[in-house]
Amino acid sequence: MSKWVWKGLRTGKKSSHYPDAPETAAGVSPGMPLTETGALPLEFCPFPVGEIEGSPDESKTDIRDCVHCFRCVRSSSDRVKWQEGYEWASEKDADAKGHSRQLGASFSHSLNIRMIDAGACGACISEVKQIAKPCYSIHRLGFFITPTPRHADVLLVVGPVTDNMVFPLKKAYEAMPTPKVVVAAGTCALTGGLFGPGFACGAGVSDFIPVDVEVPGCPPPPLAIIHALLVAVGRKPPFSGQKPSISERKAL
Amino acid sequence: MRSQIERIAPGSETFICNGLPVTFVDCAPDELQNVCERLTAELGYRFATLVVEEAHCDWQLGYIFCGGHDLQGGLVRVSLKASGARPIIPSISAIVHAADWHEREAEDLFGLVFEGHPKLGDFVLHEHTPEGINPMRSDFDPAAELPSEDICPWRPGRIVQTPGAFAMPIGPVYSDFAESAHFLLETVGEDVIRVIPRFFYKYRGLEKLAEGRRVEDVLLLAERFSGTSAFAHSLAFCQAVESICEAKLPARAPALRTFFAELERFRYHVGVIADICGSTALAVATSQAAILEEELLRLCCKYAGHRYLFGLNIPGGLSLNVEDEACRVLTGEVGSIAKRLVDLMEMLRFSSSFLDRLEQVGAIAKKDATDYGLVGPIARASGVVRDLRIALPYAAYGKDSLSFSAPGEEEGDGYARLRVFFNEAMQSVEIMRQIAESLPPGEVRVPRFDIKGGVSLGWAEAPCGAAFHWIRVRNDGRVARYRVTPPSFTNWHGFHLAAENFAFQDFPIIMATFGLSNAECDR
Amino acid sequence: MEPYVFFLLFFALCGLGIVLSAAVDDRHASAIPAWISSPAAVCLLIAAGGILLSGHTLHIELWSLPYLGQLSITADRISALFIFVAGLVYLPVSIYSSEYMKKYRGRYSLKSFSIFYHLLFASIVTVFLAGDVVLFLIGWEAMSILAYLLVSYEHEHEENVQAGYLMLAMSEVGTLAVIIGFLVLGASAGSLGFDSIRAAGVNLTDSVRWAVFLLTFLGFGVKAGLVPVSSWLPRAHPVAPGNVSAILSGVILNLGIYGIVRVNGDLLPVASAGAGLVVLIVGAVSALVGILYATTDNDLKKMLAHSSIENMGIVTVSLGAAFLYKIYNHPDLAGIALIVAFYHMANHSIYKSLLFLGAGAVDNQAGSRNMNLLGGLIRKMPYTAFFFLVGALSIAALPPLNGFVSEWLTLQVLLQSAVLSAKGVKTAFVLCGAGLALTAGLAVTCFVKAFAMNFLGTARSRAAQKAVEIGAAMKASMGWLAVLCLLLGILPTYVIPVLNRTVSPLVHTSVVNELVPPFFTIKKQNAQFSKAFVSGFHDLGAQVGRSILPGRGLVVLHQGAARNPVVFAMSTAYTLVVLVLLIGGAFLLTSLLARKRTLTRRPAWDGGLRRLFADMTYTATGFSNPVRVVFDAIFRPTTVENAGETVAQHFRTAIGGDRYEIHVVDRAVYRPTTRCMLWLANRVSRIHVGKINTYAAYVLGTLLLFFLINWVW
Repeated sequence: MSKWVWKGLRTGKKSSHYPDAPETAAGVSPGMPLTETGALPLEFCPFPVGEIEGSPDESKTDIRDCVHCFRCVRSSSDRVKWQEGYEWASEKDADAKGHSRQLGASFSHSLNIRMIDAGACGACISEVKQIAKPCYSIHRLGFFITPTPRHADVLLVVGPVTDNMVFPLKKAYEAMPTPKVVVAAGTCALTGGLFGPGFACGAGVSDFIPVDVEVPGCPPPPLAIIHALLVAVGRKPPFSGQKPSISERKAL
Repeated sequence: MRSQIERIAPGSETFICNGLPVTFVDCAPDELQNVCERLTAELGYRFATLVVEEAHCDWQLGYIFCGGHDLQGGLVRVSLKASGARPIIPSISAIVHAADWHEREAEDLFGLVFEGHPKLGDFVLHEHTPEGINPMRSDFDPAAELPSEDICPWRPGRIVQTPGAFAMPIGPVYSDFAESAHFLLETVGEDVIRVIPRFFYKYRGLEKLAEGRRVEDVLLLAERFSGTSAFAHSLAFCQAVESICEAKLPARAPALRTFFAELERFRYHVGVIADICGSTALAVATSQAAILEEELLRLCCKYAGHRYLFGLNIPGGLSLNVEDEACRVLTGEVGSIAKRLVDLMEMLRFSSSFLDRLEQVGAIAKKDATDYGLVGPIARASGVVRDLRIALPYAAYGKDSLSFSAPGEEEGDGYARLRVFFNEAMQSVEIMRQIAESLPPGEVRVPRFDIKGGVSLGWAEAPCGAAFHWIRVRNDGRVARYRVTPPSFTNWHGFHLAAENFAFQDFPIIMATFGLSNAECDR
Repeated sequence: MEPYVFFLLFFALCGLGIVLSAAVDDRHASAIPAWISSPAAVCLLIAAGGILLSGHTLHIELWSLPYLGQLSITADRISALFIFVAGLVYLPVSIYSSEYMKKYRGRYSLKSFSIFYHLLFASIVTVFLAGDVVLFLIGWEAMSILAYLLVSYEHEHEENVQAGYLMLAMSEVGTLAVIIGFLVLGASAGSLGFDSIRAAGVNLTDSVRWAVFLLTFLGFGVKAGLVPVSSWLPRAHPVAPGNVSAILSGVILNLGIYGIVRVNGDLLPVASAGAGLVVLIVGAVSALVGILYATTDNDLKKMLAHSSIENMGIVTVSLGAAFLYKIYNHPDLAGIALIVAFYHMANHSIYKSLLFLGAGAVDNQAGSRNMNLLGGLIRKMPYTAFFFLVGALSIAALPPLNGFVSEWLTLQVLLQSAVLSAKGVKTAFVLCGAGLALTAGLAVTCFVKAFAMNFLGTARSRAAQKAVEIGAAMKASMGWLAVLCLLLGILPTYVIPVLNRTVSPLVHTSVVNELVPPFFTIKKQNAQFSKAFVSGFHDLGAQVGRSILPGRGLVVLHQGAARNPVVFAMSTAYTLVVLVLLIGGAFLLTSLLARKRTLTRRPAWDGGLRRLFADMTYTATGFSNPVRVVFDAIFRPTTVENAGETVAQHFRTAIGGDRYEIHVVDRAVYRPTTRCMLWLANRVSRIHVGKINTYAAYVLGTLLLFFLINWVW
């Protein structure tokens, strides 16, 4: 067994330094398309799928809907800017009064997370898996994955919430002790994505349980999920939409 | 082969399509079982998928078989016509067991009655959907209110009748990162006697959603219903569409597609190896494999724009022309990762505590693997060496310049599966190297791709096995019917074979050695 | 008043009970045990208690019978101890019966039950009081037959009748062996009185001693339920009514121990190490076999019956240890071992009758003894659950309850074998000790299962869902036994001196200072202990409570001799104090911390299932399956795989499969014996040729043979 210890030591530290320093390695995030207004370039965006009734309503098609099809950026339009980065998590509209958005200081370095797969395609789950693996290692932040919602402070929901998962999702939410925070990760969990709302799917998590933090992306890269968790405990400010350093780089 | 099929089913017609023989057999209901049995038993055909089409109580069922003993059999479609609101179809599951779940699915979604099938009922649609509501039928009303009260919880008939037997429920929300699925383990303690799996917790209605959508929108669905094997599925879908539209792709496109399909396979298999290590609680090895997986994800993102290769495949080619130089650099980097994977496997091979948990655990006999029609690495670990890349070559796989073979093992246990995953991963790196060396120059997409109406079957060897995408496109460019048979659906069907008669603590390990995706299975 | 007055009163009450039972209407007969037997039991407690404390042996000469000699009654301390324990059990069981027997009203004769019940009580006491062989055997035989009648009380079931017959048959074989043993003894003594047998014992040769030992050990072993003559126990218990089971385990098994102690310890003390080893090893094997089958059995009462075999084995191990220590000239250790044997026997009587009463209550209210069909009863029957828990904790030997004291002491006694010089005997002690340690471990598993499968979780049958709490009489009787469990557990320092006085005539020494040092009255310069030792214990607070509590202290402590200076010490009383402080403190702390917080209760997390069904919880079979797997070599089950209904090769709609076990004793002892007997009978049957001349020749030959023997003798 000592060979494994030796192997582990020899490998050295592989973890990202985020959030102490921004992660600059290539390929940690696919980036995000964005126009100057912060909305998706609708004329190339296949989303919502199919015809849009009436005139396109640009305000409704925002970054939360992006499914990373790259059609906008790989077409020949100059209006599309490609935004690098991964700090995409935002707090859900704060109009629900009396509900603490953040867990508070006592949870900021000790957080237990339960992931619920409410019909995700596997990519989101794979990215969530990565946050507990050496390259991102959320344990260094004091975050832990727990197998039961009984011990969880954060419910990390991925997937559009299929009809068959509505009951388990609600049950898991009710089984959590208070205070609790729900993080919806991925386009499906935010809006239903490609699959919802439909006859077998809901239109995102917020239709079923109150959502506190949202992180878009299809799938959101591990660092975006970590950013969402940091937002949930108040260690990072949420994504504002105005501030992103829009890189001038036109994609590939 | 053609004459043999003629002997079994007189009046069959054979065409050569893209160099492959495709046989169409029209079959009467009372002949169906006989034809299917002789196709599989005598000619060695393997059941691929069941396609059900309905238009106002006119039913058309297509039983698609592929393979054959000498791998030159191509495809056979046995067609059956029926009419009526709920026609009674003879079940072939008792003869061709691989069709079991297909029939259950069709019963649940279409309301067909498969006569002679013992286990129809709750399958895709769970207890909150009353019997008689069949969403894939044309008369289905999605706006209809479902009863929300008085839902009778699912309770399968207990099979183990031994005194003191009980059922141990696992899931649907369980383990740290497990995908939602439920397993009811029947046991009398210690050993699992019977596994009753329950899937489709993640049923998103992929096939129903596709109906009436534009082909390019359905592509998004095909790509995203299973994110971890997105490229393979979008490839199969695109090939089906291209075959309908008779598109002539520039030579660079199939080569690059093969290149990325193998990159995805490599990444997927490294992830499975990480999960197997994790299931045996070998922390360092898990971390090592996870580091490799993340590095591969980053490479995908760096060179193809997306960590899971989304948005790369489009009908008519690829949306991105990756330069020759980039491919060579990428191959080099993947090669160095492969070297580290070899080191890891060397260490695993000499970790007795690790091997003890895998060897002779979760074994599937070759006969069972054949009967259940298992595919991919799991079938190959049990000695059923069948690979669509060889049996029904697509993309650049049929090229003479590409030399590779499907690695197989005989034991069928967890360790054999691990070795297959590893050997296939290494094979993938080798294929990538060969392609990177001889990439044809030019464009990667047809300049103009026109959608036509028609029917076609596309397939690809996804990381966990054979994936079939059957599609019917209307003349206006919209999809009339889309049928996906992913490998996870096929293989989960046989999962219980491996998990039965092993101890509880082996269950997660056996599950990890299968390396399947529930999202892919549930659609 | 003299003890004999109370004994007279006891027999008078028993007689009254019989007469009343015969007189009153059948419907009211169920109340008679409560009103007559419990006062009778109180009489016994007073009489036996008097003898135990005062030490006056009661000796009464009864009638003289022709050919058989004088009938007499002798009640020494040994008898008194057994009678006292019987009284302790009979008192609550009688009260329990009055409520429990109501369920038989109209189905079985309550009258006859009541008559048998009183007769059995009287005959048991007669056995303990007998001062000669004839009275002993009369009582013994009456007891055997009455026990059979009570066990097969529910005689309408075929299974019950068979179990009763088996019990009777095995019991009669035992009686036969005992009679022969007594006749050998009586022949050498020339009289059938115990006193003269005791006096004549010293003159016997080794072979006669061996013969007597083997015969009586076999005979009494049947009653005590020792392996390999224990087969009747697990069959008789489940079919007997709950209260009869309690008597069977709590009192009648003790008769076997009494016989072994009386004959092999008192009348003709075991003098060869071989005999002692036989006792020791039989005890250890009984304990292990008993607990293995107890752990894996799912019938609540059968499980308790197997556990009785285990406990009797533990008692027998202590007895064997006592015999061996005495033979090897360690009277102090022999004394301790005997004390431990008696202590454990008394404890077993208390907690086993408590558990059987609990099992009876469960069987009665939840309609099943099959633990796979029970569960969740703690919410329906909280009192029963609590009392059963006390019994289960006791029998699992957890401090501070009584089972812990005696099992801990048993192991300590075996550990003291280091003083022995004979290597072989020492090895036997070590192996038996290891066996008992395994037994103790399995006992915990066994009774965790017994409690959890009956009372925790969710009900696995409709009847268990509908169970209701038992009535006051049953509650009171179980409560009384539960209190006794606690008292015998925390006050060993008061029990041991009494037991010491009982055993000192057998080992000719007093060990009370060896085992229960007088800490409350100890002086710093007490000669028995070294100064440092005393002051150390003084500092530890061993004398805490000397001003409040009378007696010797609350610590059981043994200091080995110079050759084996092993010290063992424990105090269940202090353990109780610590436990109460810890648990109470934790409770206070949590309630203090949670004062300002709202408490929400949610059902157990089930992985998001819509509902957790009862058949998704562990069954008794599932819980004990690891034991079955580990000890497969002993159980050697025959598993019958039944592929069930199969639609096609891969569609199995039912997987049957059953597991048949032949008890290891039946397999190893009875089956070969049966086969051998059948073979012999086959051979012998060849003399049946069917010709009258041949049979005449047989008769003539036999006559000649007898003449010849007579002539040669």
